[in-house]
Amino acid sequence: MDVSQYLEIFLDETTEHLQNLNTQILELEQDSENMDTINEIFRAAHSLKGMAGTMGYKRMQNLTHDMENVFSEVRNGSIKVKANMIDILFQCLDALEEYTTNIRESGDEGTNDNEPLIKMLGDILNKKAAGESDAKTETAAKSADDGDGRKWLEINLNSTDKMVIGEAQKQGKMVYGVTVSIQENCLLKAARAFLVFKAVEELGEIIVSNPSAQDIEDERFELDFSLIMITEADVDKVTAAISNVSEIESVLAESIDLSVMQLDEESREAEEHKENMRKEAEKSETGTAVAPAATQVQPAAQTAPAPAANAKQPAAAKQSGGKPVVNRTVRVDIEKLDVLMNLVSELIIAKNSLVAASEATMAQNSGTAQSGINEQIEYLESVTTNLHESVMKVRMVPIESVVNKFPRMIRDLTKKLNKKMELYMSGEETELDRTVVDEIGDPLMHLLRNSADHGLESAEVRAQRGKPEVGSIWLDAYQDGNNVVIEVRDDGNGIDTESVKRKAIERGQITPEQALNMSEKEIIDLLFLPSFSTAEKVTDVSGRGVGLDVVKSKIEALSGEVEVKSRLGEGSTWIIRLPLTLAIIQALMVEVGGEKYAISLGSIQTIEDVMPEDIKLVQNKEVIHLRGSVIPLIRLDKELDVTSTRAPEENLTVIIVKKGDKTAGFVVDELQGQQEIVIKSMGKYIDNKCKLISGATILGDGEVALILDANALI
Amino acid sequence: MEELIIASETAQYIVIRLGQEQYGIDIRYIDNIVRMQHITRVPKLAAYLKGVINLRGEVIPIMSLRLKMGLPADEESKAARIIIVKLEQYGTIGMIVDEVREVVTLDMDTQVEKMAYDKEDKNNFIQGVGKYEGGLISLLDLNVVAQEK
Repeated sequence: MDVSQYLEIFLDETTEHLQNLNTQILELEQDSENMDTINEIFRAAHSLKGMAGTMGYKRMQNLTHDMENVFSEVRNGSIKVKANMIDILFQCLDALEEYTTNIRESGDEGTNDNEPLIKMLGDILNKKAAGESDAKTETAAKSADDGDGRKWLEINLNSTDKMVIGEAQKQGKMVYGVTVSIQENCLLKAARAFLVFKAVEELGEIIVSNPSAQDIEDERFELDFSLIMITEADVDKVTAAISNVSEIESVLAESIDLSVMQLDEESREAEEHKENMRKEAEKSETGTAVAPAATQVQPAAQTAPAPAANAKQPAAAKQSGGKPVVNRTVRVDIEKLDVLMNLVSELIIAKNSLVAASEATMAQNSGTAQSGINEQIEYLESVTTNLHESVMKVRMVPIESVVNKFPRMIRDLTKKLNKKMELYMSGEETELDRTVVDEIGDPLMHLLRNSADHGLESAEVRAQRGKPEVGSIWLDAYQDGNNVVIEVRDDGNGIDTESVKRKAIERGQITPEQALNMSEKEIIDLLFLPSFSTAEKVTDVSGRGVGLDVVKSKIEALSGEVEVKSRLGEGSTWIIRLPLTLAIIQALMVEVGGEKYAISLGSIQTIEDVMPEDIKLVQNKEVIHLRGSVIPLIRLDKELDVTSTRAPEENLTVIIVKKGDKTAGFVVDELQGQQEIVIKSMGKYIDNKCKLISGATILGDGEVALILDANALI
Repeated sequence: MEELIIASETAQYIVIRLGQEQYGIDIRYIDNIVRMQHITRVPKLAAYLKGVINLRGEVIPIMSLRLKMGLPADEESKAARIIIVKLEQYGTIGMIVDEVREVVTLDMDTQVEKMAYDKEDKNNFIQGVGKYEGGLISLLDLNVVAQEK
């Protein structure tokens, strides 16, 4: 079977299942008795096995199969969850992840059999077998399974069938009852069943099946079906032939004895019941405590497993009832969304030109027809804005998919660094653009590792400082206006600025004289220099000096920013601020020296009219006093090398801009109003050559306006 | 019967004028030729980078070939054009020229004289000289032209 077309789906789903397993096993470690968690784990492992099998990844299937066995025993209560078992399971997950990576890269799962892991899993299972106290439950489970499995016993035979069977047996042929269970996650049950039928028909003849062949073809059956067949082949051959069909969970085949089969005629059954009852009554009357099995008639004994099986099924259904309802979703290639987004951008530009054109004609003639056009344009405006928002929303995904792997990472770090720590996360549901979410994982991981390794002190130091033994790391995400903020916080040592300074001088990055005059903030910024590390020794976790500079550049590439707050001895907070959207923003259009510029509305606080005499000088820099705070003025005409069109004695229009905890006032010539703009790159050749400009946009009249990077200006 | 003609290696060049000189630009790099239009200045760039224009919804950086090659600033003339070229390394760039004259096909063996290529000299934008109808055309090496000094 050619499965390459399913590879993408397989990889996606495997990743999801692995993530799920990671999360659930972590939970299991906390609460080893939680049945929901155990069930969820079992389900995920089971699906993984099924998928790997379908795709023909045998090694992956073997490993998951053994994992599933362990979970299955845990679910049955015959194995207790222990710490070392959790460790082994995590190792298994790592191995599975490795397989997945291999498959993603080369389409092949690789050649690592992971035998040690399989052996360890086997040991867990064997240990259970050795535990005699558990033997009872095991056999009980087994016998229940037996009753459950032999569903062909439920097949009703009519007299013709019986005749045929009797005839065949006389001819020395074998008659088998077969029950086939299909895997829970099988998508094309009917197709699988068909293949089973085909395989069986190659070996012999099918007398009867339950459900009927027609029902099976129409997929009107649960996960199993039974049939009775006549063949000359032996039972193993039949089982093997059926097992060859993929996505088959189990095959139970046994040669049957006609006498134990159910009879079709209802009257017969009724008779038996009556007989049963009579016997029961007799028993109770006589009061003889004979072993019931001995006295009970055979049919009764045979019917017993069936209700038992029936009773078990609803129970199973109830268990899986906790499974969340599957969302109605469609997987869409992100590139298709990009195209859609581009089209929306074009639409907005076209709409802006229409607005501009209508304004131009409005200036010329003030006819009544104009108001009609205006109305339509306003309508168009609201439609495009809504369209843009919906497309943006489609691209938004919760950061959950990224942060979910962190608890596991912290757990591993706890062991590796020998420090006790706990990760508290909030706001996992916060949504960000898909492209941002994909990129944000590494920076966050760096920061968390940083907190774990450098931030949190060793247990002794924590004890001395009167801090709780277990260190805490927080990961909080929340939306703040047009931004999403992700904070990584720890209650560790904080940043030792003196030691940072020393290190920087040692490395020749600053001179001792410079160090004397540096503010705390400037010193902390040193951390973001390439190859800077204060760790005394290089560990597996961090200290190689790659990290913070990568974090910074990565986040800046996403037009975000990083900020650090730290108090020595109390801990530090790393704040990442990311824009909600990347492509289209609301902006304020301004004019400076006759040129048009856009400033992102998200960063603008207020707009002030300032009289020239209100400008004060502090350290030879212009500032204004605004509602109790001193705000430095930035004259955009000077920054942008143009001449202001305003006379010096005129009032100044000042836009108060806030980025992070920095505020500044931009002096502009004219305000032109708010506009929705599409951010465009300025072209590979000059992008990033001018630090003050973060991009360009095309205005309604076709002109290009530049977008000011408030961050760089402040 | 069809005869197999092994053509000698030829290349097409667009002949442009800068001041008094003629230059040739390999046609394979050229995406488009547009009229002079308003260029939005981008601050803090080298003088030869004039700014950006909007070309059918794309923002394209524009450079002055004159300034880049050390000639006096562009003259305002109706003949001036912007040649949009696509370079693998630098993306799309518009180059202002005084005039676009014609397209010529040059035989690389007989009509082109290759210049000794000096990679160290970043001011040497010429990759060869073409002889065409008595005139000489300096063939520009765009990748060197686009290089920053």
